[in-house]
Amino acid sequence: MKVAEKTKFIQPGTLIGKRIPKMDAPEKASGKTRYIHDIDLPGQLYGKILRSERVHARIKHIDTAAAKALPGVHAVITAADIVDQRPIGVAKDHLPLKTDKVRSLRDEVAAVAAESEQIALAALRLIKVEYEDLPILTDPAEAIKPGATLIHPEPRQPGGQDALKPSGPVAFTGKPDNIAMRFDYCHGDVVQAEAESDAVVEDTFKLHYVTHCCMGVSGMIADFDSSGNLLMYSNTQVPFLHKREFAEYLNMDPGRIRIIQPAIGGGFGSKLDIYPFEVICVFLARAAKRPVKLVFTREEEFISSPTRQPVLLTLRSGCKRDGSLTFRTVHTLHDNGAYTSWGATTPFVMMQTFSSLYRVPNCDYHTVAVYTNNPYAGSFRGYGNLQATFAVEAHMDKLAEAIGMDTLEFRLKNAQEQGEVSGQGMEFDSCGFKECLTTAAERSDFRRKFAENVKNRNAPGAIKRGVGIASMLHVGGGAKIYPSDGCGTILKLDDFGQVTLITGASEIGQGSETVLSQLVCEELGLPMSALTVVNNDTAITPWDVGVHASRTTFIAGNSALGAARLAKAKVLAAAARKFECPAEELDLRGGYVIKAASGEALIDLPRLMRNLHFSDKAELVMTTFYYEPPSSYQDKRYKGNVSAAYAWASQVVEVEVDTETGIVKMTKITAAHDVGRVLNRLGIEGQIEGGIVMGQGYALTESLIIENGVMRNPSFRDYKLVTAPEIPEIDISFIETMDGEGPQGAKGVGEAPAICVAAATANAIYNATGVRICGLPFTPERVYRALHGKGEKLYLAPEKAA
Amino acid sequence: MSLKHDIEFKLNGVSRCASVRVDMSALDMLRDVAGLTGTKYGCGEGECGACTILVDGLSLNSCLMFAVDCHGRDVVTIEGLAADAKADALRAAFVEHGAVQCGYCTPGMVMQASHLLATHPDADAEAIKRGIEGNLCRCTGYTKIVEAIASVSRTGKPGARS
Amino acid sequence: MTEIEQYVAPSSLEQAAEYLQRSGEVTILAGGTDLMPQSQGGRLKIKRTLMNIQHIPELKGIAIDGGAIRIGALATITEIMQSELIKKHLPILIEACDHFASDQIRNAATLGGNVCNASPAGDMLVPLLVLDAEVELASKPDGGLTRRRLPLSEFFVGPGKTRRAPSELLAGLRIGLPGAHHYARFFKFGTRPALDIATISIGIAGTLNNGALSSARVAFGAVAPVPMRAPRTEQALEARRLDAATIEAVAGVARDEVTPIDDVRASAWYRKELIHNITKRMLDHVAQA
Repeated sequence: MKVAEKTKFIQPGTLIGKRIPKMDAPEKASGKTRYIHDIDLPGQLYGKILRSERVHARIKHIDTAAAKALPGVHAVITAADIVDQRPIGVAKDHLPLKTDKVRSLRDEVAAVAAESEQIALAALRLIKVEYEDLPILTDPAEAIKPGATLIHPEPRQPGGQDALKPSGPVAFTGKPDNIAMRFDYCHGDVVQAEAESDAVVEDTFKLHYVTHCCMGVSGMIADFDSSGNLLMYSNTQVPFLHKREFAEYLNMDPGRIRIIQPAIGGGFGSKLDIYPFEVICVFLARAAKRPVKLVFTREEEFISSPTRQPVLLTLRSGCKRDGSLTFRTVHTLHDNGAYTSWGATTPFVMMQTFSSLYRVPNCDYHTVAVYTNNPYAGSFRGYGNLQATFAVEAHMDKLAEAIGMDTLEFRLKNAQEQGEVSGQGMEFDSCGFKECLTTAAERSDFRRKFAENVKNRNAPGAIKRGVGIASMLHVGGGAKIYPSDGCGTILKLDDFGQVTLITGASEIGQGSETVLSQLVCEELGLPMSALTVVNNDTAITPWDVGVHASRTTFIAGNSALGAARLAKAKVLAAAARKFECPAEELDLRGGYVIKAASGEALIDLPRLMRNLHFSDKAELVMTTFYYEPPSSYQDKRYKGNVSAAYAWASQVVEVEVDTETGIVKMTKITAAHDVGRVLNRLGIEGQIEGGIVMGQGYALTESLIIENGVMRNPSFRDYKLVTAPEIPEIDISFIETMDGEGPQGAKGVGEAPAICVAAATANAIYNATGVRICGLPFTPERVYRALHGKGEKLYLAPEKAA
Repeated sequence: MSLKHDIEFKLNGVSRCASVRVDMSALDMLRDVAGLTGTKYGCGEGECGACTILVDGLSLNSCLMFAVDCHGRDVVTIEGLAADAKADALRAAFVEHGAVQCGYCTPGMVMQASHLLATHPDADAEAIKRGIEGNLCRCTGYTKIVEAIASVSRTGKPGARS
Repeated sequence: MTEIEQYVAPSSLEQAAEYLQRSGEVTILAGGTDLMPQSQGGRLKIKRTLMNIQHIPELKGIAIDGGAIRIGALATITEIMQSELIKKHLPILIEACDHFASDQIRNAATLGGNVCNASPAGDMLVPLLVLDAEVELASKPDGGLTRRRLPLSEFFVGPGKTRRAPSELLAGLRIGLPGAHHYARFFKFGTRPALDIATISIGIAGTLNNGALSSARVAFGAVAPVPMRAPRTEQALEARRLDAATIEAVAGVARDEVTPIDDVRASAWYRKELIHNITKRMLDHVAQA
């Protein structure tokens, strides 16, 4: 019996700005999610790498006979066994297995694939390597001097190492000096500007080694099928770039390489480059003709992962008596380590902060990254911006003090507004900078506390309170550092009203799946439960640059939105035909096609989809979209609008400094972030809280101690991440500037929260004690020394501008 | 190869035996012998808590425990916690409060939180922070984890704290 | 390379002592929290016999025994922390337990293990030193189980080295019941509440009368090859009224008495500064008590 359906009206609602739990969280909280460590393939072997025992040495001889003879060992390889090795890395200066020399303690000398990890480790112990030590170069200031030992001398010396020299093509033949990379940038005339300045300050800052410490250690599984196609289970953040690069290194057709990214135990920029262990894993699989799984130990993760690039930096800044900034001149010396990875290119981002955080009419920036025998540096959340902001914001305080101006007022005077274009050509189409400053200051009662603390500096008692403010500018709409910054989406609607979102964007724990699903569901008027995401597999998903530069929500979000809009148009067009009305009068809401004006439900989506499916045209709703942001590739002088949108933030840090021990306790952080628009409140709060605490670690506790090329603290025991009892109270405000290009107005914020914590902390310590500390981290001993006149003396002679 | 020893113990409520190398950690035994991969390796020296399990009702770092020492004991892993109604609420709280990002520390964090709430049912935020001081998380900054655990703590003892 | 040849889990002290007597090649497993990472990291080699002592009832428990509190070697840090006896008589040990590693480690780590590891930074050792604790060592040299006692202050001979003979097993620790007006405090320096290797630690104890400590005991951790008693500091403190000048003088003696080294955690200079400043701070508290 058919019952007449009652007319149904669907109330409007939105998913935007709501607290939406991560779609992958239930599996993760149950221990069911499989990370690379949890995956085993049939017939799989275990790979292990023998690393150098010397910081800088010639490899004279490697004897692998005993290792090869050990039962259970399937392959032992050295550079001599891999005739087609090619150099990897940003400057192609790094052979995965070292031939003639080791240049740092982490260097890969040989590798083993065996039936168990124990056997592989036993085999490593049987490999005998003879070294001849070379002079060690670990101070970048020494490395840059003429006549210094060369880390990559050119041309390769004839004789001696020939037996180990690869016969394959080697693009990199060495360098006449230790300079790995240089960046020079300028706008305006800093000499003239300095002459016109009323106050000029100069300091040298020392930014230290830190590393990502992803909770899941690095790993990889490589497997060739019987036709020679390569399948990699990889933790990479950039699968499509890697697919192409691996094809080059292995001299394979990229079409024969598939990369699957299982759930990843943290990225933070650590997985943007190809590392030797990944290529070695593939070599082992090829040699053993079996799948090979290679997973690091925690100690190996510390020793052989890239670091944030350590920098010695001299900043000279000036302003006029009225508080307007006049110029910034910057010289930096970066310790590149023995090989070039993305760390060497962080000046690209640092210069954006020097040129464009606050209105700077004149800016001169010279930077050089030099080779040493230290661990090499890679990319890390913030990409140089933590280092640059640390210096810039110290000077904002110093200049304000020099001219006797309120430090907040000074910042507000120089903060940009919507519509401005910076000296470097960055176009601030949406800009909540001033609102970030005032919000953070007001919510933390910054002005009152600042004045009170200065007054109490000399009061009795060991504990001094301090408050400091700092701001940051970072790309928030992708970053055009490759010819394309785009992302593709495929969207499929099935006849149960279920949507499959196939996206190029990788979920690495940051919540991209959930936010992309939200954007699609919002557009199609569906609940989150109607959506399935397919991602993290290069054989299935469309192209994407990868997870970096805080770009996924913005770029992949716009891509998903584009596909959803096409799908919606298709569905509404079909409904319009069915109900014989203009499509413009219809909308999608609550799983129904509705009359847009009244909300009256006309047909539920599954039924309409089945209608389409079984119609004469047998139509399926499947759409594709590729989004390319309207940003530009910078010119040779690094000018241009590198991002489609920019994120701003101001943070106020409150500290208690124990002057008798040097302990700095971070009590509260008040953060105001211009995020464009909040899409998933739960997700964005989590990103910002996590970033702030990562910034806290950078400021207070984390430091890789490297002495003469040797890492002294490769464990969580002495490399100290922030633990739960140490976290400050965190107050977050979102400034919603509704970016015109952003998906639903949103901008990227992945890196932003970590960037200015250390800078604000330095200012807070100064506010508390009257002592300016220019080196990080603020460990008790460093602070105590500084307070007792025994601080480090930092100086970097400015190089003559080229 | 290394000496092996036979052990009998209860794993997630079910009695079982295993033959393990005497120098093997309980973590390796759980993952490689029992095939339960929810318990994670993070550091191998008790500094990160990713491998936290319950043994006779106490939370331990399984990476520091000898597998042979499981003999005769009652071992519960994240997989076994599923049977516990209180733990259901805890896992749901982690999801709803956004306490999960990359998720690698999550099983250990849930195990430790479960032990914490079993021993301190009305733990406040400060007690919760101390309770998870042996569990590192690199993504969340802990705030949402503390909130998630506190929400269950409140459920356990209505009005204990706000 | 010798492999482990035998795994034993004796169920009585007598059996365990027999194993130790028969072969000196025994590695003792209690909580495992130090043994496992040391052996996996290649810093310690497990000997021919791995002996798990967890099933020996005589090594367990915390009880009053002949005017002293006896803490079995297998008592975990958590058990000590929850013990009503300890709370009542030896609250300084509760303080130390609260600064010990993490909940997971406190649930497994044993007091005996902490003592036998003899780390200069061992968290329980400094408070035990100022409590005049004694170690109780059991062995079976000629067919019968014998026990000997040794003051803890004489037990440590170097980092990781003690006066325990290879044939002996640490059975427990004995601490005399403190008398009236007993005062004892512990301080561990770190930026975290617990999960931290002490940069320095300080224990101060004695009988507090009229603002002066008599039978003063002072011990320092992580500033010498072993956790050390500080006799010169004790002497400077003994029965003196704790006015500002005395406190400053005692803190100065303390700074001069310690012999720390530079390592990844801190420099020797900074450790000496901390010893001075924290000793002063702790004595200020005593003066106000």
